[in-house]
Amino acid sequence: MYKGREGQWAFYLHRLSGLAILAYFLIHVISISLFVFGEKIYMAVHGGYDFILFRLALILVAAGVMYHAMNGLRIIVMDFTGKGVAYQRQLWYGVLLISVVWTIYVAFKVLPRVAAGV
Amino acid sequence: MTIRARTMQDAKQQSHTNAELNWWIFMRISGLILIFLVLGHIYMTFVQVSESDATFDAVINKLSNPAWKFYDWLLLALTMLHGVNGARYSIDDYVRSRPNRAWVRNSFFTVVAMIFALGTVGLFSFNPN
Repeated sequence: MYKGREGQWAFYLHRLSGLAILAYFLIHVISISLFVFGEKIYMAVHGGYDFILFRLALILVAAGVMYHAMNGLRIIVMDFTGKGVAYQRQLWYGVLLISVVWTIYVAFKVLPRVAAGV
Repeated sequence: MTIRARTMQDAKQQSHTNAELNWWIFMRISGLILIFLVLGHIYMTFVQVSESDATFDAVINKLSNPAWKFYDWLLLALTMLHGVNGARYSIDDYVRSRPNRAWVRNSFFTVVAMIFALGTVGLFSFNPN
């Protein structure tokens, strides 16, 4: 199930997306919490988030969260049913498919706004 | 020690302590709840509206509603516990020497506890007027 096959890639991607989401989340909490120090300090940081690379990277955050969420469901299904382990490979391709479709949808909604600068 | 199990039965046998088994169960339950909370949050604040709509006034406005305050705090607390426990699994797997592991873990937990306190104080000390 594991070495060098889909299961191993699913595991690596789960860890990688999890750690990336955690890193983003910690920065996100700090920067949102800045509003307790007033509008000036809050906007000083948030003005920087209009930078195009940051806005494009947010699409990756959304993609990573969907992969992590769906693969998490796959893990739960494997943990609590025997069938889940038997079909873990097929489930993983389903996870990838959902993540790709969601990412395209998010990009479709967000890219025009980034291009228009709103 | 980190549990590497594929089924609940394996997890029970592998867990050396009750705490470790409880964390294993916690990851699954909080994960299920977080799917709705986090994807809902991303949809409402990023897909539906623009990221640059998160202005100072918008945050103040949203947080004057106690229901959003509760939603955001639940999001904060569950993501914090789920994420930090996940990172702990990674630290245990990749930081091999014992003294290093203790320090990496402890400094990491300290930083996270400070950010959690900042977020919680931010949410609840806040007064719209």
